[in-house]
Amino acid sequence: MQEHSLLANYIEQPRVWDEMFSAAGIRPTYQHFVSAIQNLSADEMTHKDELAKKLFMSQGITFTVYSSGEGIEKIFPFDIIPRILEAAEWKHIESGIKQRLKALNIFLKDIYNQQFIIKDGIVPAKLIYSCPNFVRQMVNVNVPFDIYTHISGIDLIRDHDGTYYVLEDNLRTPSGVSYMLENRSITYRIFPDLLPKNNVRSVKDYPDLLLKNLVALANRQKSDPTVVLLTPGIYNSAYFEHTTLARLMGIELVEGSDLVVDNHRVYMKTTTGLKQVDVIYRRVDDDFIDPLVFRGDSMLGVPGLYGAYRTGHVALVNAMGNGVADDKAVYSYVPAMIRYYLNEEPILKNVPTYQLGEPENRKLVFESMDKMVIKKTNESGGYGMLIGSAATQKEMDDFKIAIEDDPRSFIAQPIISLSSAPCYINGVLQPRRVDLRPYALYGPDGIDIVPGGLTRVALKEGSLVVNSSQGGGSKDTWVLG
Amino acid sequence: MLSRVADSVFWMARYMERTNGMLRLLRTNYISSQDEVKDFTWQPLLGTYSDAEAAVKKTLGNDSPKVLQHLLLDRENGASVCNNITHARENARAVQDHITKEVWQCLNDYYHLIRNEKLQSQIKYGDPVSAVDSLIDHGMLYHGTVDITMARGEAFNYLNVGKFLERGILSADMLLIKMKELNDELKDKAEVPALRYLLYSLSGYELYLKTHRGNFQADYVLDQIIYNENFPHSISYCLKQLLRYFERLETESLPESYKELEFLIGRTMNIVKYSNVKPSDSEGLKKFLHQTRSELFEIAAAFNKYYFGNS
Repeated sequence: MQEHSLLANYIEQPRVWDEMFSAAGIRPTYQHFVSAIQNLSADEMTHKDELAKKLFMSQGITFTVYSSGEGIEKIFPFDIIPRILEAAEWKHIESGIKQRLKALNIFLKDIYNQQFIIKDGIVPAKLIYSCPNFVRQMVNVNVPFDIYTHISGIDLIRDHDGTYYVLEDNLRTPSGVSYMLENRSITYRIFPDLLPKNNVRSVKDYPDLLLKNLVALANRQKSDPTVVLLTPGIYNSAYFEHTTLARLMGIELVEGSDLVVDNHRVYMKTTTGLKQVDVIYRRVDDDFIDPLVFRGDSMLGVPGLYGAYRTGHVALVNAMGNGVADDKAVYSYVPAMIRYYLNEEPILKNVPTYQLGEPENRKLVFESMDKMVIKKTNESGGYGMLIGSAATQKEMDDFKIAIEDDPRSFIAQPIISLSSAPCYINGVLQPRRVDLRPYALYGPDGIDIVPGGLTRVALKEGSLVVNSSQGGGSKDTWVLG
Repeated sequence: MLSRVADSVFWMARYMERTNGMLRLLRTNYISSQDEVKDFTWQPLLGTYSDAEAAVKKTLGNDSPKVLQHLLLDRENGASVCNNITHARENARAVQDHITKEVWQCLNDYYHLIRNEKLQSQIKYGDPVSAVDSLIDHGMLYHGTVDITMARGEAFNYLNVGKFLERGILSADMLLIKMKELNDELKDKAEVPALRYLLYSLSGYELYLKTHRGNFQADYVLDQIIYNENFPHSISYCLKQLLRYFERLETESLPESYKELEFLIGRTMNIVKYSNVKPSDSEGLKKFLHQTRSELFEIAAAFNKYYFGNS
């Protein structure tokens, strides 16, 4: 390895898998990239870093944080060093996610219909019926092509030996895909020529694939069905993503108040009167989507939408009620689902998970709390979480009390030491922990996963939390062809 | 096009037009307040462009820096320039996929400009004219950006309908404000500076000089502001442009909605065309201006009902 100031300070961490370095030096996936950047001066690298920030700001790739009535525009922190995956790794991930999604999708169909998996004793009925995201209104509702999970973002992490684990299945309204697209377009600008030279596979098909799937769900015999994207509105932190996706697909961006339901059909209000809507890609959560059926105080949804959906006059993406399948306690049964529904061995591993509803699990976890991550089953975004190794005694005690009060709502997992990847911070490369969220599209023709995804980074040194709400950033993700 | 999108584009244009009109009016009024005009008063302007309580307006009195702050920067004043720009930006934000990226970025920058601390302290403690000038300049940048980048489609038409409707209302409002400042006496010789300032505010002074060679008479001023079809701020010009952009919407309208609006715009144009106002008859003039204003508001309400789906 050629000595260079950029790489010289890169500290190896014990028992952490690094994406770029192995004990033998730079991994082959990164060799091209490193040889291209290692002769750049620190000034040039810093210039690239600043250029990236400027591009994000000037292209308005920002989210708004509202505090005391004033909106402040912020950019989602971006690290310029890409995360690189080799073709074989990607193949493994791809087949693992496809298998998992097939099983989860059958599970949703089963759980809202015949419930064979409960009758055969694979999943306890109590677990399902105690899940707040089990939507009773979805029982016996037929969804087009039996697809529930049209868009999912599966979070993957890597342990110290490099094994991939699934950390979470996001099957409701996963966000972040616009950053996958924007990060790539920024990388083109700051590292000219590097993408073609490295034979990096393209991610730009995502909007086309998604639109194809959305159009296919339309129930009317029409050559150009109306597809819309339903957003909660300009105050939503992901509003930028909604406008981007609507623009890239050329579909109308609507808010709840733009839609009305009449005779179980959904219409949008246009300057030329009402126009029937066939497919809604909604970015509004189940709870808010129809005030007549779910939360009555919701201003974001459309009254009567559930009825239109149930009668099949409109398709919703994703389906309602998916929360029961990505519940953190149900998660521990996914390997069993794969065996039960597909008669296959899971390709991607689950992180071992203790449901704290079981008294013996509770005892075990309380004894070794400092080696555990404890999570609320119903929360995401890095909220409602305790990392044992970094928690104070008081925090642990508070969690114990909360767990004793409502054990069903908590799970515990051993702390997985996330893999690290090099990040350009303060003029040198430093290791930071990362995860990976590929986006899978499930349509009538099968499952497509664009080669890439969102690599999220915990920008704080030593931190294991990559969520953007907790100081995380992102990287471009390269899959080599 | 979605009704909400048309509505937002229409209001974005109205807020921007109002911003421009207010800034120019404030600029000339401020200068005239420094120019020893006898009995200068801010009260008529406060009456139109402030929603504060009467007592608040009274305490502001004729303290020019305070009045300027209130009309430009006060967030509590719903009609302040600062709030106008914020509303324009919020409307633009919600229709980002129907205006161009450049227009959105321009409005976004405008919003950051008026919230800029340097600019705010210049208004409060420095020379307000240069601050207002830089705001006016940025407004011009917006108009240029719209003109050069926006596709000539439905959104552009709604944008212009909003713009010219608002401009017509502004011209009527400004005449009414001046009438109040002059205690409804237009013919008196001594009041000529006020009319001169009105022409400044409407960027019409040069045109007036070229047409009338310094022969300054109230009836000529009225004629220019109400009837001159070459003057981009005259009520007649605004109505003509309003009709022009409205007619382009015909193929994208429901026939019955189109008919309603066509009737209302035509009626307003006729009221203006066949009117006969004289400086000597200030009561008649005021009646005419109020009537024109309410006709324009009726047009706006009809758009709201027939095109934007708000009943």
